[in-house]
Formats: sequence, C-alpha cells, structure tokens
Amino acid sequence: MKLSLTLEVQSDPRLLSVIRSAVERFAEVVGFSEEDCRAITAAVDEAVTNVIRHAYQNRHDQPIRIVFEGRDDGLEFVLTDRGLAPDPAKLRGRPLEEVRPGGLGTHIMARVMSRVEYETSAEGNRLRLFKALESKPAGGG
Amino acid sequence: MKISTRQSGNATVFDVTGDIDLQSSPELRKALLDAARQGPSPRLVVNLQGVKYVDSSGVAALVEGLKSAMGQGGKFVLYGLGPAVREMLKLTQLITVFQVAENEEDAVRRAG
Repeated sequence: MKLSLTLEVQSDPRLLSVIRSAVERFAEVVGFSEEDCRAITAAVDEAVTNVIRHAYQNRHDQPIRIVFEGRDDGLEFVLTDRGLAPDPAKLRGRPLEEVRPGGLGTHIMARVMSRVEYETSAEGNRLRLFKALESKPAGGG
Repeated sequence: MKISTRQSGNATVFDVTGDIDLQSSPELRKALLDAARQGPSPRLVVNLQGVKYVDSSGVAALVEGLKSAMGQGGKFVLYGLGPAVREMLKLTQLITVFQVAENEEDAVRRAG
C-alpha cells in the first residue's frame, strides 16, 4: 500500500483547522486508532504552527508544503517552508517540570511521533515526521 | 472558537466552544487574564465541553489563566474535558496541574 497527498497552503492560521481535518482523516485511512489519529493530528498541527510562528514570524502569506505518505509501515509527513531556519537549541524542547506556557509544541511532536528529523538547505527547511504503524491482526481493517 | 461568560454561584463560568489553536487562543488568553486580574480571589471555571481540539498555545492560555488566578488568591477549575483535550493535557504533562471537575456543579463547588 502506498497513499500520498500533497497540500500547498499559505501560512495562515485560519487554515490550521483544514490541515487538521486532512491529517486526521488520512491517518484513519492508513489504519491508525482513533486515539493515535488525534495524537498525530496534534503533532502535525504543532509543526505547522511552529512554521507560522517561528520560520515565518507570523507572516500569513508564505508557502508551506505538506506531503503525506501512507505506507505499510506507517505514515510520514514532510513539511517544507522557506522561512528562517529553526534554532537548534529550541528543537530539543524544554523540561516540563516547570509549569509555564510556551515550548510545548516540540515536546508534543517528539512524544507522539516515532521519528522527527529536521533538515535545512538552500531550498528551505524540511521537517519529517514519521509514525510507525503497529502490525494489525490478519484480516483486520 | 466562541467564548461566553456567565455567573454560577460565586464563580465566573467561561463556556468555550470550537477549536482552540494558534488562530483562537489569544482571545481565550485575554478573556481569562482579564477576569483573573479583576480579583481579588477570582473564581474561574472553564467549561470545555464544546471544545473538540486544543493545541499547545491553548494549553498555554489555560496555564496563564491558572497562574494569574492563583496569583490573586483565587481558584481556576476546568470541566467537560473531551478525549482530545484530556489527551493534550496528558501529553504536555499538565493534567495534574489543573483542578479538573466532573461537571459544572462540582466545578463551581471547587471554585467556591
């Protein structure tokens, strides 16, 4: 099985709900549980939010490309933007013992996804989010 | 997202509906902080029954409301958490930081 979908969107927060709907439905089609679908949706939403806030500094007219790929072993999202490169120190997330707002998005991505990889090149920033699919019983779904 | 406010007993109840994300969380943050700063001892209850999704900026708005209310010697109680909201609070390890009530009666009593 290989399923793919590409979204080209502006960095406008009004489109986040549209992206979330697509991610949740896609994860469902690939075969994730309802709870996993919600968690994957949250992780991708946080990734796009980070692009809008940090890479594009809240400019709402910049391009974001999201490639979805469903495979037998799981689901991968590749986000590409042309904004500022991420700060490596912030990519590690922060300890959660201190109760304060901010810095939670990176933690959510790391907790939910099986693999999170950042890459910066002359073409822009690329973030790969991969979630492994647990093996399903024969004949299921 | 929509927010409406009403009084129930001694508490101010915020009925929040829709998704709380980067687009909408500043409005929630402002509403909670404005109410918390009207202290002393603000008693704030947030009804999340109509919320299907909250992101980290929404969680941050709730944390700021909590800290502000507590800082004024008040109370801050959540109720009506659906699966997505509950899972997000668990993911961010903040579920234990909030007082979470079973229903409005319990929430108002805790805030009282």
